[in-house]
Amino acid sequence: MKESTKMLLHYVTGLGIVIVGGVHLFTVFLTGSYVQNLAFSGGQFSVIAVYRNLVLALTLELLLVFVDYHALNGIRVILIEFHQGTRWERGVAWVLAVAGILLFIYGTRTILIANALA
Amino acid sequence: MTDSLASDLKRALFGWFYPVRYNLERWAYALQRISGIAVTGYFLAHIVETGNVVGGLDVWSVPATSHAQDVWTATFQFLDNPLFDVGLVVIGFMLAYHTINGIRLTLTEFGFLQGRPARPDFPYEPKSFTKVQRALFWLSILFAVASAVYALNVFFGV
Repeated sequence: MKESTKMLLHYVTGLGIVIVGGVHLFTVFLTGSYVQNLAFSGGQFSVIAVYRNLVLALTLELLLVFVDYHALNGIRVILIEFHQGTRWERGVAWVLAVAGILLFIYGTRTILIANALA
Repeated sequence: MTDSLASDLKRALFGWFYPVRYNLERWAYALQRISGIAVTGYFLAHIVETGNVVGGLDVWSVPATSHAQDVWTATFQFLDNPLFDVGLVVIGFMLAYHTINGIRLTLTEFGFLQGRPARPDFPYEPKSFTKVQRALFWLSILFAVASAVYALNVFFGV
């Protein structure tokens, strides 16, 4: 992938995070007491209720994808500004891509299982 | 010839993250990097933390709801600690700064708010960092402080 494409995706995911991250912070902090919203169950926006709601669960999945890309690409940009060289740049990109995929798998596992909890 | 990795890292740590002798744009840059790294750290911890909603790292099929609830409740009790709350206040500051300054950077990336090229005259203020960009930078600081105050109120009920 061209460097400019990677950076375009960086800006697009950044703006995406402003929107879906806004929804996420809204359901945690602005729909009632955050202690109630972070309890396992009981409230309208408690943890399991949010994962069971398809729209909110999809919002969390989108947030996971956006932040995963944005954060790891940001680290990549920082690391290739530190030091230049083909081996270093490729190595950094590959290690971070694998880390990103592992984070995506683990986060998606949480969302899918939480959505399916009885 | 390129420098060694070690000398590059040393220069980066003492150059970039120490913007004291430079202008405001350099401060914006250093803070964007530092806040990005901090929020990435929070993101990693948050993925592990929320993984406990379904019972933790070793759960890969739907567990008994009571098991998930026990693990999450224990996690939440562990995290209910003033030290973590202070951390969240800092993360609130960093995230708010990174958001508004990131919007400024996105606008400049796509060609908005750019200064016209001009001869560098005393006091050598960067022409690229226009008045609107400066305003956006201070807005991001203001929003960051407001977020930190809001977080203090939520977690410590000032």
